[in-house]
Amino acid sequence: MSKDTVISVKNLKKYFQVYHKEPGLKGSIKSLWSRKYEVIKAVDDISFEIKQGEMVGFIGQNGAGKTTTLKVLSGLLYPTSGQVRVLGFNPWDRKSEFQKQFALVMGQKNQLWWDLPAMETFLLNKAIYEIPDKQFQATLDRLIDLLDIRDILDIQVRKLSLGQRMKAELVAALLHNPKVLFLDEPTIGLDVVMQKILRDFIKQYNKEFKATIILTSHYMDDVKELCERAIIIDKGRKIFDGKLQNIIDKYARNKILSLVFSKEVKEKDLKTFGQIKEFAQDGSAYTATLLVPRKTATVQAGKILNKLPVQDLNIEEPPIEAIIREVFGDAKNTPVK
Amino acid sequence: MKSLRKYWSLLKISWETGLVYRVNILLWRFRQFLLTLMSLTLWTVIFGSADEVFSYTNAQMITYIFVASVAQSIILATALNGLARTVYTGELSNVLVKPVSVYLYLAAQDVADKLKNFGFIIFESLGLYLIFQPPLVIPSAAIATLFVLWLIGGAVLNFLITLLFGAIGFWSPDIWGPRFLFFMIVSFTAGNLYPLDILPEVLTRVLFLTPFPYFAYMQSQLFLGRIDSSETLLHSAVLAFWIVVFAIIVKIVWGRGIRSYSAQGH
Repeated sequence: MSKDTVISVKNLKKYFQVYHKEPGLKGSIKSLWSRKYEVIKAVDDISFEIKQGEMVGFIGQNGAGKTTTLKVLSGLLYPTSGQVRVLGFNPWDRKSEFQKQFALVMGQKNQLWWDLPAMETFLLNKAIYEIPDKQFQATLDRLIDLLDIRDILDIQVRKLSLGQRMKAELVAALLHNPKVLFLDEPTIGLDVVMQKILRDFIKQYNKEFKATIILTSHYMDDVKELCERAIIIDKGRKIFDGKLQNIIDKYARNKILSLVFSKEVKEKDLKTFGQIKEFAQDGSAYTATLLVPRKTATVQAGKILNKLPVQDLNIEEPPIEAIIREVFGDAKNTPVK
Repeated sequence: MKSLRKYWSLLKISWETGLVYRVNILLWRFRQFLLTLMSLTLWTVIFGSADEVFSYTNAQMITYIFVASVAQSIILATALNGLARTVYTGELSNVLVKPVSVYLYLAAQDVADKLKNFGFIIFESLGLYLIFQPPLVIPSAAIATLFVLWLIGGAVLNFLITLLFGAIGFWSPDIWGPRFLFFMIVSFTAGNLYPLDILPEVLTRVLFLTPFPYFAYMQSQLFLGRIDSSETLLHSAVLAFWIVVFAIIVKIVWGRGIRSYSAQGH
């Protein structure tokens, strides 16, 4: 473990026992005396290290184990086995010195006191985290300005919009200037504009406070824009850890050729160059989208230009979402170093 | 000092939250008021023209019910009836990730609720006093002090038992069954409907093997001067014993619960 490693996870496993209920009333009655239990491997032998100031994106489908990992790192869940260190602490000990240095923000649930204005929660957190008056005021002012929420501080939280509430959540979580920040789906349910605002804010916070941030998100844009490094988790196992760009190099087998023709072309002529994804030849529009193996993409493009009446041609990388879908779709998901 | 301040802040914010829904508070208090009113009316009818029933004079019984209902209001008022749900839904995570003691955090909420109730109890008691005019014995300073200590002891005991019910949420969402059963048992055994010593002796003895008499009955008897000074020490010790026993159970159960906590959805 190097000196500037802030988070270190070795062979982490977290298993849950869940019980299966057969559907319907019959199943409910049967479950009164006989229950089938199954062990779910939420996190299954995951290891990684994160350095100070790094911003890492956890990518994975629902139930992949992202949130469970964050909860273990926060000291909420007791690991089934493995070693976890955050800022030199074992999170499970839940030491005050540790808790004062990190924050966990969950997009789906809040810590704000629902029936009171957000300011009340801020003041409570000031007392809980023992934040000195001056520091509190300065941080609060800075965060309020960055997120532009000065005018909603005195309004009952329950009356705020989702976006406003999420902003207030972030302020509440960051008042004590945490060095480590776990963000679980921070932009879930927000509109595109609000997502962008929060993303910019997270980027700014990372830069200003040199904070180490782990972010989970369903929105690839969050990860693409914020994180240089991504860890992909599937069914509790780590299947990729590295630069986001490398996912494309590693998993994208094809490039996408978008074509516009000046005259009609036959489908069978196109087929010889690659796999047809879209083909529209109606009226004045003659367009097609082809999937072509990466290695031969430029050669094939040259051939198409020679043989077909091409008006416009574009070679693109497939969107990262598609690549990841393909990765997850792979039945055998062998772990990748 | 600083660490105490955080619980003070928590107490204040819990209080503020409790005061948001005014109609709720008023209806809740009205329910408590009606319960005491019913009990007092019932006993007034039972006595009719008789001077003494179950070795209690009319005046003694009215005074007893009066004191017992005040004691029970203070001891059993809690903000944590929904604790198991807080645990089961994972809301507890908000507390567990912060540098606070989870027990003191919950205790602060409970105290806030008791303080809120206390204000109402004074007004209600005044109303009931004016209607029934029970002859109140003013206890000596020593007895009054012990009375307050026993009230606090009873409240702590109830807090610990409430924590145990809350702990069910670590394993199961089925909480209302056991909780409701507990409410029912308490209403019959804490002594706010009738003094426990009017029950058959065997039943009274069994009850004294449980902590229930310390939820109102013993405090009221003490206040009314019906406990010998030689026995006060014994009962103080028994109350302390129950607190220690339940504190140990809470520590063990919550320790295990937090270990198997799954922080669902949070």
